[in-house]
Amino acid sequence: MSSSRLSRAAHAELRSPRPLLVVLIIVLVGIFATLKPAFLNGPFVIAPLLTSISIFTVVGLAQMVVLSVGHMNLAVGQLAGVGALVMGASFENLGVPLLIGMPLGMLASALLGAFAGWIIARTGVNSFIVTLAMSFTLMGLIPTLYERWSVGNAFTVKPAGVDAIGRGTFRDLCFGQVCGSNAIPLIILPALACMAAIWYFYACTRVGREVLVTGSNPRTAELSGVPTGRRVILAHALSGLLAAVSGFMLAASTGSFTPAIGGEFMLASFLGPILGGTLLAGGVVSVVGTALGITLTAVIRKGLELFGVGLETLNVLLGIILLAALATGRIRGVFARRRPPKPVESAATLAAELQDAEGVR
Amino acid sequence: MRRVISANNLLLVGVVVVGAALLGAATAGQFFGPVSVTSFFRFLSVPILIGLAQMVTLCVGQLNLAVGAIGGVSACLSGVIITSWGVPPWIGALSAVVTGAILGLANGLLVVGTRINGFIVTLAMSQILIGVQYGLVGTTTISREAWPEVAAFGRSDIAGIPTTFIMTLLVAVAVALFFAQSVTGRRLLASGGNASAAQLAGISIDRTIVIAHTISGLLCGIAAFVSISFLPGVNTTVGGDWLLPSFAAPIIGGVSLVGGTVAVLGTVLAATVVRLVDAASPIYRFDAEVVNFVVGAVVLGTVALGRLREVQEARRASVLRSRRAEAALAEVRT
Repeated sequence: MSSSRLSRAAHAELRSPRPLLVVLIIVLVGIFATLKPAFLNGPFVIAPLLTSISIFTVVGLAQMVVLSVGHMNLAVGQLAGVGALVMGASFENLGVPLLIGMPLGMLASALLGAFAGWIIARTGVNSFIVTLAMSFTLMGLIPTLYERWSVGNAFTVKPAGVDAIGRGTFRDLCFGQVCGSNAIPLIILPALACMAAIWYFYACTRVGREVLVTGSNPRTAELSGVPTGRRVILAHALSGLLAAVSGFMLAASTGSFTPAIGGEFMLASFLGPILGGTLLAGGVVSVVGTALGITLTAVIRKGLELFGVGLETLNVLLGIILLAALATGRIRGVFARRRPPKPVESAATLAAELQDAEGVR
Repeated sequence: MRRVISANNLLLVGVVVVGAALLGAATAGQFFGPVSVTSFFRFLSVPILIGLAQMVTLCVGQLNLAVGAIGGVSACLSGVIITSWGVPPWIGALSAVVTGAILGLANGLLVVGTRINGFIVTLAMSQILIGVQYGLVGTTTISREAWPEVAAFGRSDIAGIPTTFIMTLLVAVAVALFFAQSVTGRRLLASGGNASAAQLAGISIDRTIVIAHTISGLLCGIAAFVSISFLPGVNTTVGGDWLLPSFAAPIIGGVSLVGGTVAVLGTVLAATVVRLVDAASPIYRFDAEVVNFVVGAVVLGTVALGRLREVQEARRASVLRSRRAEAALAEVRT
């Protein structure tokens, strides 16, 4: 019984894109390391690489939770910006410690996310438009508030603990004589905590399962007694909360809270979940896949940077990777199910039904 | 005729008149001076064109996140072929239209060929094209001195109205005629309104999607041509701020987000309203960011209000229907 369940789980794992991602990451790291031994330099290459993987994994999770209800969140970057703004302002202007300022920022972003979710659930407008309009509104608001609340358009006052999280490595953590490696930054801890929390939410809680059901078929969910409107709002609020955490991580790692935080998040937020097997249509998520997808793009980025490839080429490459990943997923889906694409199918079934009806008559 | 003078269009005309009057009052009439009017219309062409470009994709139930990137690449490629390859300025500048159409065609073929969500295809495409645009011009600006004839066209005006704006209005009329009169235009609308019904009627959905993206790219190319003609030069910033206005104009103008409708006049009027907000920013001394804030909030409000009205109308209709049924039932019983 349990062994058959185990083998089924193993089969499902093999069919997902995750093993392929792991192989790709290992192969790429191998290639980069042999061609450029500097790629394995702990404090100068591996540590920054892990830092950016940690930050963008949380960004990817923020997108993943809205994708799970079949929506998208184009305001991920701006919600991260609002979170960082509120945190920075409360650290500098109110002088509060880390454990008060950070939840304040997370709350602000979560409320804004919930507001977007509420508009979507209440009016039924496409999530794309609501979050796009939201992102432009916030894009206008954030620099204005930085100008008003801060000196020199940035908050640089940091309470105790921010630098340790943002810039520290495991070398700073010692148990007696044994210290950690300086290649692993402490910032992976909040990322791992977010991953664990989100995984637990979707895998083990009733509300998490209800969010997934809402994503895979809103009507069925509604008829089964799931309060779909509230689940949509929850997903968007959670997205805002995670975005704020990612904004904090970026600010802590760069050393200041600026209006630029979140500006680069949008494409990356889609890359991670989509490469990792999260469906755009909703209902399927993969926390580990998101982290692996982000890791793959980060490794490619870092490796090509070492070869002196310019930023513009990297952008072109990331766009192509996104398209290629989706196209291969599509091809695999077609071969796995051997089913014609949807519109054709609906027309064909309709014709068949018409024929049946006529036969009965 | 009733479709043209809809409540939404009347409201937009009212907003334009009141807005212009307010700006006129705030500047003691200077806003209506010849220089000010000419520059108002000169900067209105691009928002109208990109609004129409977005409208065409919205009409078949798609969207185009790459409007800015297509326009930027088209403009920069024209600049490069004029300066580096020695192509005659007019041919070079007008080739932006062809470049735009080809890039739009590529978008459409990718959407149809891979069956990936159009949102993701155009997002990835915009990322790729922004890279290409940077690759073309880098950090430099190609000055308009390389195409003096085209720049003179961009600065010319007929009775105070810029020639480029008149050209833009002609393009808008052509788009309106395309959707109202041509078979292809009606097919686009039909497939956006109800894909399976259109398919049963013998319309190829794939073909309409490809056509819509191609026209969208073509209109972005025209916007790029206008940018080449009136901007001091082309660089990587061309197209960078087109995304919000491209959605704002059709949405405020009354185009449905699920497809099946177009509103050319509404889009033109809404672009004018957005331009008024833009023109107000130096007069009332607020930043470009505030313009974004206002426009974003207006889009959000329009969408939410429109949808709420639809829901209420549906509810009222169903109440009416049930009342009628009850009355009929009572009649049968007596």
